[in-house]
This record gives sequence, C-alpha cells and structure tokens, in this order.
Amino acid sequence: MDEITYNTKKATGAKLDLELLSKVMDATNTGIVITDNGLPDNPIIYCNPAFEKISGYSRNEIIGHNCRFLQGKDRTQQQRQTIANAIANGEPCNVEIRNYTKTGKLFWNELYISPVKDESGKVTHFIGVQNDVSSRKKSQLELEMANSEMEKTIEQRTQLYKESQEYLTSIVETIRESLVVMDKEYKILSANNHFLHTFKVSLNETKGKLLFELGNGQWDIPELRKMMEEILPTNNPVLDYEVEHEFPHIGKKLMLLNAHRIELEGQYKDWILLAIEDITERRAIQQRKDDFLSIASHELKTPLTTIVGYMQMMERLMPENATDKFKNVVEKTGRYVQRLNQLLSELLDVSRIQTGNIELHREPFDFDRMVVETIEGMRGASPDRTIELSGKTEIFYNGDESHLIQVLNNLLSNAIKYSPAKSTVGVQISKISDFLRVSVSDQGMGIATDDQAKVFDRFYRVGEVQRDYPGMGIGLYICQQIISNHGGTIWVESEKGRGSVFNFTLPINN
Amino acid sequence: MNNKKILVCDDDPGILEMLELILEEEGYEVVLEDKSVNALKKIKAEAPGLVLLDIWMPVISGDQVLRAMKADGMPMPVLMYSASTDGKAIANAAGADEFLAKPFDIDVLLNSVSRLLER
Ligand SMILES: Cc1cc2nc3c(=O)[nH]c(=O)nc-3n(C[C@H](O)[C@H](O)[C@H](O)COP(=O)(O)O)c2cc1C
Repeated sequence: MDEITYNTKKATGAKLDLELLSKVMDATNTGIVITDNGLPDNPIIYCNPAFEKISGYSRNEIIGHNCRFLQGKDRTQQQRQTIANAIANGEPCNVEIRNYTKTGKLFWNELYISPVKDESGKVTHFIGVQNDVSSRKKSQLELEMANSEMEKTIEQRTQLYKESQEYLTSIVETIRESLVVMDKEYKILSANNHFLHTFKVSLNETKGKLLFELGNGQWDIPELRKMMEEILPTNNPVLDYEVEHEFPHIGKKLMLLNAHRIELEGQYKDWILLAIEDITERRAIQQRKDDFLSIASHELKTPLTTIVGYMQMMERLMPENATDKFKNVVEKTGRYVQRLNQLLSELLDVSRIQTGNIELHREPFDFDRMVVETIEGMRGASPDRTIELSGKTEIFYNGDESHLIQVLNNLLSNAIKYSPAKSTVGVQISKISDFLRVSVSDQGMGIATDDQAKVFDRFYRVGEVQRDYPGMGIGLYICQQIISNHGGTIWVESEKGRGSVFNFTLPINN
Repeated sequence: MNNKKILVCDDDPGILEMLELILEEEGYEVVLEDKSVNALKKIKAEAPGLVLLDIWMPVISGDQVLRAMKADGMPMPVLMYSASTDGKAIANAAGADEFLAKPFDIDVLLNSVSRLLER
C-alpha cells in the first residue's frame, strides 16, 4: 500500500490514517485501480478487492497489466480513443465502456480516470474508478427495444416459439453429448437420449429426480455442488470440471462437466443446462501419446549425443589444408545437428508439460544479472541486431533460473525473428508492487487481436509465419507453462502493423 | 589413483566409443565398462582418477553405482550424465560431483573432466 501514501501525501498535507483508507478500499463495491505513469504502458500497481470481483480476475492476473485487458477483443470502441487522449494530455475523463469479465461476460463499465501529479505538475499515476452499470444500461436498452417489440403480433411470436422449440429439441436429441436440464432446485426436467444411453438409465429413473441423488450419488461432490450452487446467483458457469467416478452399470469413467444458466429470448430463466462428456478414452490415448513422446525423445537423445560428439571431433580434427567446400559441409552438418537437438528438446518439453512434469527448482538468484546475461548471450548469437535494456528490479528472485532464461531467450529470439533486420528489440524490466514485470518489444508485423490469446496455444503458428519460419510453434506454450508454474502471467499487447510487446509478471513472494 | 585414467560406464556402445575417442585424443587413458553390474569391481581394480557414469542403465542404475562407491569409501570424483530431465536431481541426490545433460558439448565435457581431475 505504500503507493497510496505517496499519492495522497500531497493531497492532504496531513498524515493519513492509512489503515482506515485501506479498509475503505477493501469494503467498497466500487473498483479502484492505480497505474504507474512512469513505467511503459501504464501498468496497474494496485487494485482493490472490488476490482477483482467486478472483473473476475485475481490480483496475480491484474498487477503489471494495462487496464485494456478488460476490453477483450472489443477494441474498436470510440471510448478507447477518448481515454487514450485524456491519458496523453494528463487529464481526467469519464466514459461508459464495454468490458468483459474473465469468463467473457459483458459488463458496462462506468469509468472515471484521474491523474495524480507531483509538485512539478508531472503526472506520476492515474487512478481509475469502475462501476458495473450493466443493469442500468440493460433497462435503458430494453426500454428502447420495447416499442418495436410491441409491434410484433402475438401470433408471429407463438409461431416462432414453436419452431425454435422443435429446432432445439432436434439439436438436443442429435448431439453426441449428454445433456440434462434442471430447475433451480437441481431437479431434472429433461435428459437427452445420449445421457440415458451413456449411463444406461431410463427416463423414469431420471426425470423429476434431484441431480445429486442420481445413481449412487455420483454427482454429489461437495466441490461440484458448490460450483453448481453459484451458477444462478453469480451467473458463473461451471467450465470443464472433471469427475472421475465408479458409475453404476458402466464402471470407472472420467467425465467432463460444463454447466450454464439457460438464457431464453434474452431473459434469464432459472434453469441450468448440464453437459456431460465421457473423456475416459480420450485421456487414455493422450496419456499413451505422452508416454510415447517422452520415451521416444529420450531414446533419440542417446544417438544424438554420439553424433554431436563426433561432429565436434570432426571440427577439431579438421586438417589445416581442408578445402573451403569441405569446411562448409562440416559447418552445415553441425548446424543441422544443432537444429535437430533443438527440436528434440522442444518435443521433450511438450511431453514433460503434458504429464505435468515440468518441475521447478527454485533458488534465489539476481534477477537483473540473469536478464543482462541472457541479453548478452542473444547479442552474441545475433551480433547485427540491437537489443536495448531499460529499467531494473534489484530483486533476488526465488525461482527456477534456467527455466526463466529459457522464457526470456524464447521471447528475444521471437522478437528478432519476427521483426525487420535493422529494427531494435527492447527489453524493459521493473518491480511493480510485489511483482516483477518483463516486457520484450519488437517493431515487427504485430499480431491481430483474434490471434493474441492463441499464440500461447500448443502448436499454434500464425499462418504467414508458418511459411517463413519452420518449427514446432510450441515455444510460447512452454513459456506460458513456466510462467504460470511460477504463479505469474504472460500476455501480449499488440496491434497489426505496430509491433508487439510480450510481457510477463512474476509474484515476488511465493 | 591414476590422474590420467578415466573410467566410463555406459550401456550404449556408441557413447562409449565416442567418449573413448574424445578422451584419448586429449591424452587420457580410458577404461570402458558397458555393464553397470561390473562397474564397482572394475573401478576398484583400475583405480581411475575420475568416473563418468550414465544414469539410466539396465539392472543397476548409475546412481546406485555411485551410492555403492560412496559406501565403499571410494574417493574419486564422479561425473554423471543423462538425457532424462530428472537426471540432475537424481545425480545431486546421489552425490555426484557434476552433472551434464545429453547431448553435451565436448568443450564443456573436457572442461569438467580436467577440473575434476585437478582436485
Ligand atoms: C487508471 C486507469 C484505469 C483504467 N481502467 C479501465 C477500465 O476499467 N476499463 C477499460 O476498458 N479501460 C481502462 N483504462 C484504459 C486503458 O488502460 C487504455 O488506456 C485505453 O484502452 C486507451 O489506450 P489504448 O488505445 O492504448 O488501448 C484505464 C486506464 C487507466 C490509466
């Protein structure tokens, strides 16, 4: 909370009761964030619990980020420009902007932003105050809609309703997934054929029963119950929840559950739709594939070690008078052996991550020195490129140094690969609240909003990139795993044609 | 203990042959063993200045060999290597003096070897 002291010192002139202030911040329903205007891209250095609640993100995922993550993919709103102008001019502003919670739910954010200035009039921080005004907006919109609604004849609507009902029923019955509809007491209103088939039960045994009493109580899991009970009041769906259970009739299975509140014609009905998918077989196949990957890449490393050894001996034993052609062949072979080695390590990394075996060996190390040395190494490998470092953290970070070097190396080599030959790559490090933040920026082609979340997917490669830079496309996936294993977040800020900034944060106290 | 003599124990003949070439080229005397069950006896008989040990070998793994060496009071340093990711943790736990991940760089290997032999 020391940031607050700093901000309010001047305003009051007197000593503020910090404890009282922080209690107010904790208790209010209004979201409050503070950003540091002295750091690149105005990262959030403080947020109160209400901001976490409104946005659905946790503090770990918020500190160090720019507030625009709340806009999701909705980046063409003109309010955004209003804010950008106000920030550039160091002025306050007030907008209503469409924002999205972590689960993707839209909310209208009534946002006040005001600058905090120091004695010299320089803007040091911004304070943002957020209120979720969706319900007000909604009734506004509904009022506007009402007139046109009325013009629709009752007849038309009944017809439409009938059609959509039939339509729905046929979808529900054809789909190859088990579906159950419940009322707000979790009493089952209907279950589709696939459900009855999968669990080898009749409609009579199911309809009218409580979900938690079905079969031998297989769904009566405290954690699941808690999530289900939160669907209606909070509108938070249950997403990809796994249940492994010894089911009556069908034995031990792994089921994937998704549950949503049912919304009909824009109105919330207090019903819940539960979708159940049997992923037993899929998981087993996945496991076999992972085992295979792991064994195969391990086995391949042994002959590769021999090849690398002989390769290096060949370079050492190269006769003085060897022809340039011969030297060239040896050098090329060496390079491709290295490439093979790289691919194999990636393969091994993937299988390790998949089996959850990416173990962290945490030990305190000088974070700034690690960054400097990694950049040095990269400069050595690409001597014709400029890499500029700014900022410092002065932190002895307790983490897995070699894995974090791997992350930074990956971001740097991507930045170099995907940007024009003469352009500069920037690295910025800072300590933000109790987090470290690292940003790697390039002046490359940028990444479209749609692709931004996907770049961290396994085997994902942006189409045009695929053609120019062969490889497996798992580097960023691995980075993400490593950073999230440290409790941090990794993300990209980019716009097509304007370069990209890859950022990650790491909590200092873990 | 002979400070020019290195014993290598690995079940893979390709690696043994390659290491023999590299180490002999550097002027070391090299003794090879491809069965970890024989390793302890051989080390005792040869008294090398350094032992290079693979970790994953059939019947008796490298870390078991190392533990037996320690129990026997054998003083020479041991460098372990492996392609497996938990290799480093296994080597550390068993008390190896150094660990290299496969595939290793020759320069790195030779550096480690000469450093360990100087001790
Ligand atoms: C203190 C502060 C709070 C902000 N809060 C929000 C917010 O809650 N929702 C939002 O969409 N944008 C918010 N923004 C605006 C974005 O961070 C960003 O400045 C805006 O999108 C314009 O910049 P851009 O064009 O670079 O994205 C906030 C900005 C500041 C400085």
